[in-house]
Amino acid sequence: MTIHHSGKMAMSLKSNHLIILSAILTVLISIATANSHSDLVSELLSLQSQSTSGVIHLNDHLISRFLTSTKTPRPYSILIFFDAHQLHSKPELHLQDLHNEFSLLASSFVTNNPSDHGKLFFCDIEFKESQSSFGMFGVNSLPHIRLVGPDAKSLKDDSIQMDQGDFSRMAESMADFVQSRTKLSVGPIHRPPLLSKKQIGLIVLIILIWLPFAIKKIIAGETLLHDRKIWLLGSVFVYFFSVSGAMHNIIRKVPMFLVDRNDPNKLVFFYQGSGMQLGAEGFAIGSLYTIVGLLLALVTNVLVKVKNVTAQRVVMIFALLVSFWAVRKVIYLDNWKTGYGVHGYWPSIW
Amino acid sequence: MWPSMAAGEKASGTTLRNAFGNVLSFFILLLIGVLAFSIRLFSVIKYESVIHEFDPYFNYRVTQFLTKNGIYDFWNWFDDRTWYPLGRVIGGTVYPGLTLTAGTIWWLLNSLNIPLSVETVCVFTAPIFSAFASWATYLLTKEVKGTGAGLTAAALLAMVPSYISRSVAGSYDNEAVAIFALIFTFYLYIKTLNTGSLFYATLNAIAYFYMVCSWGGYTFIINLIPMHVLLCIVTGRYSSRLYIAYAPLVVLGTLLAALVPVVGFNAVMTSEHFASFLVFIVIHVVALVYYIKGILSAKMFKVAVTLVVSVGLVVCVAALAVLVALVASSPTKGWSGRSLSLLDPTYASKYIPIIASVSEHQPPTWPSYFTDINVLAFLVPAGIISCFLPLSDASSFVVLYIVTSVYFSGVMVRLMLVLAPAACIMSGIALSQSFDVFTRSIKFQLFGVPGGFKVDAGETSSDSSVTENDGAKRDKSEDILKERPSRKNKKKEKEQAEKNPVEKTSIKSKKEKKLLVLPLEVSLIALILLVFLGAFYVVHCVWAAAEAYSAPSIVLTSYSPSGLHVFDDFREAYGWLSHNTDVDDKVASWWDYGYQTTAMANRTVIVDNNTWNNTHIATVGTAMSSPEKEAWEIFNSLDVKYVLVVFGGLVGYPSDDINKFLWMVRIGGGVFPHIKEPDYLRDGQYRIDSMATPTMLNCLMYKLSYYRFVETDGKGFDRVRGTEIGKKNFKLTHFEEVFTTHHWMVRIYKLKPRKNRIRGKTKKSKTKSSSTTSSKRSVVSKKNPWN
Repeated sequence: MTIHHSGKMAMSLKSNHLIILSAILTVLISIATANSHSDLVSELLSLQSQSTSGVIHLNDHLISRFLTSTKTPRPYSILIFFDAHQLHSKPELHLQDLHNEFSLLASSFVTNNPSDHGKLFFCDIEFKESQSSFGMFGVNSLPHIRLVGPDAKSLKDDSIQMDQGDFSRMAESMADFVQSRTKLSVGPIHRPPLLSKKQIGLIVLIILIWLPFAIKKIIAGETLLHDRKIWLLGSVFVYFFSVSGAMHNIIRKVPMFLVDRNDPNKLVFFYQGSGMQLGAEGFAIGSLYTIVGLLLALVTNVLVKVKNVTAQRVVMIFALLVSFWAVRKVIYLDNWKTGYGVHGYWPSIW
Repeated sequence: MWPSMAAGEKASGTTLRNAFGNVLSFFILLLIGVLAFSIRLFSVIKYESVIHEFDPYFNYRVTQFLTKNGIYDFWNWFDDRTWYPLGRVIGGTVYPGLTLTAGTIWWLLNSLNIPLSVETVCVFTAPIFSAFASWATYLLTKEVKGTGAGLTAAALLAMVPSYISRSVAGSYDNEAVAIFALIFTFYLYIKTLNTGSLFYATLNAIAYFYMVCSWGGYTFIINLIPMHVLLCIVTGRYSSRLYIAYAPLVVLGTLLAALVPVVGFNAVMTSEHFASFLVFIVIHVVALVYYIKGILSAKMFKVAVTLVVSVGLVVCVAALAVLVALVASSPTKGWSGRSLSLLDPTYASKYIPIIASVSEHQPPTWPSYFTDINVLAFLVPAGIISCFLPLSDASSFVVLYIVTSVYFSGVMVRLMLVLAPAACIMSGIALSQSFDVFTRSIKFQLFGVPGGFKVDAGETSSDSSVTENDGAKRDKSEDILKERPSRKNKKKEKEQAEKNPVEKTSIKSKKEKKLLVLPLEVSLIALILLVFLGAFYVVHCVWAAAEAYSAPSIVLTSYSPSGLHVFDDFREAYGWLSHNTDVDDKVASWWDYGYQTTAMANRTVIVDNNTWNNTHIATVGTAMSSPEKEAWEIFNSLDVKYVLVVFGGLVGYPSDDINKFLWMVRIGGGVFPHIKEPDYLRDGQYRIDSMATPTMLNCLMYKLSYYRFVETDGKGFDRVRGTEIGKKNFKLTHFEEVFTTHHWMVRIYKLKPRKNRIRGKTKKSKTKSSSTTSSKRSVVSKKNPWN
């Protein structure tokens, strides 16, 4: 043990010069890089303060300045949102929604963490402007969010892509992603209130002024509320809306129809399997449910008062045919969709 | 002389007809009750007289306790057999309505020397109350649209699949009695509204009290009735009858509701009840306005109106401010998550994954409506329209009921149960009306009976005094158009009953315009089609009752080419526990089986289906997801003697513990962060084959489920997951298998006692290993979340 130790001592004494030299060198280099790094940070900070949301707009030039041409480890991480204006028209990508959420995340981070200034920056890139950067990151599908850590050398391989699941719950889940990957806490997301205080005040004022007039009208009994037809239409509509499963479509954000996978020209309107339904499908069946009842009501309440027998006959035959068709269609579709075979229990032997 | 004689003759004829009609409707109602009861017996016939599923076992156990120890002990019952070592206060945390009802029935039967077991009474409580519910539906619909509609609605409700799903024999749950209470409360409200009688108002409050005792769904009543009252006020239908129907209900009802321990001060403190208080204030203001209007001249009244409106406004604003302050001071703004998700349907899916994940909280798709209310879905719009012609207080209430319940059912599939009675009432009204129109058309044109029509005209004179609101008196006019061709079966008899009532409006209009009829042959076709529609409904309901909703889930069956297979493993396991373990032994399992274990095996459990303590559940979840040694430590610290797992891999029973396992990991990881879900997933995939992660293959749940599994077929092929298991031959170090049921569906393991530290043995063989285990154990015991 001891022998070994002294030997090492001798070795180190010999290489003393070399160590000092290299130490000086590294210090110098690090000072130089630190200097340039702090320059970059302050530049990024100024860019950040220029934008209202705290999202820095990058282009090819800025990418190379802040990411590719700098030495690792950089003192900051960059979270990049890949945007393309030409795809904003495609609603299924939710690019604009996601970008808004991203801005919320950025502004919340800036306001929540004044001490972490300069450690994490939020940026976006536009496809048309900076196609080469898109190529550098290897991004070929949107939406795409990528975190470039302090140690990432190759933009494509070392940066971390945010999963679909991480932006599914909007800004909150993005914050979780940032938290788990950078160890920087984002804190609560500050969403702008739905109505500003002024607007709320205005609405309250209008309601207060309107209230006495409304009460006067109600007492007089001449509002829309006294119109039975409106109530009738309203209740039938709520019924139609509910039995068509529209609430399911809203909660699950189901599309009206799908495009057939095998044949892109064909549209799929009916989905097989009882746990799911498509929008158009629901409304179609909902109207079948409703139309039968409406026709029945028409026959029993209105048609009896008609004096012309031929008219009665024609309308009734029409109503019967439509109702019969609708009920059969629903029974058929229900059996097809759920796969249940409803059957009676007829006695086989007496 | 002559005219009065004729009138007397006519009157006696009508009395006879009325008497006959009443007797007939009585027997029809009796048959409807029998139908409602017997259609729910499929579960007993196909399986046996047994309590179903999970929650009913708890209710059964509580009922047993009640019948054994009496009401006071039940009220103060602290249950130490569950949530060990915490226990649970039962008396203050359950809705006692169901238990008290079944207990009373049992006590009554026993005092009549009919020695039924508590279990039998519990099994048949739900079918009995279904019969009551259909009678209540008859009463309610009769108040709205007359006897014929009432009978039709009752018949429809007796077999509506949505209600059957919650009330088959053996399904001993709160909804079994609550739906009856709900309909009966609504009936009494309408009755009070129609009669203005304080007697019915008091009964109404008592019925509401019964509903509060029975089910958390009582909030639907205490919001729907105020809504209706407000609607009546706003549309200028205020009357003293409305006041009598509403004010006593709020005062008495709230006081009575506060008596139920589980509700207590919630009856005045939570937002669900605020609507009723707000409307209570409004109705008083309105009553005052009407009173002042009555005592003042028109001119003076105008002056007074400005005064009253301003004062009323101030009062309202003040009350509103108090309410807003109260609401804002509570964290969830006073609303429970479930109520919020009803108002904003997207709320739960965004913020409360626990509520969103439960299958009965999902929004339904259109086939659910067809399965649960079947052809009623077609008839309801006609019923709604018929309720508007003419619109009375009563009919506006049922319209409001259907609209709110259909909206709520669109948000949560379990609320289909509340929609079902409303749909039956509406369809009953529609069916009855159309039968009325079609049979009238056929009768008048086929037989050309002006005689019967004359009687009608005579009737209407007595009827014309009936006010618009009084649906109750309308049934006088029934049985006029009676025609009795010989018909054999029950169903047709019902239809016949449906034809009985005559709409007052139609009578009136008849007087003006003579015959209101449709062409004969088309009416005939329409009638036949309607009968077919009804027949399809009956077939569907019987099918649903027999096939879809009768499985007790405690006994399973499967059909195979070789015949019927019965899987009775659960009771086998619980029976084994109760016969082979000590009374005070603690059994750990996932919470799903807690109620059953306490009820059937009478052993203490750690967690059960009343998921009130998340940390405790997370502890069990953590133990199940930990390696054997850590799990042993956790279970040992909880005094657990036996661990029970449910395993479906051999027979292909899909809802076993391996399929629920990720929830154990998630819930466990939510409290004890060293359990991480990604450790159990390979590339985000949950798998148990050779590609599974080592954490997964070493966790307790995997080991207890698949221990010796390879011995069954030599390969270890899991028939639920459809794959061979990853780790086949392994031994258990800290647990020993004590019992596995016939089909391997339940496996029970015993915790091995702690090893003695024998000095000699330690010295002899593995100095190192024993020292490492002991040091590890000390480390492990720190990790043990229970300490």
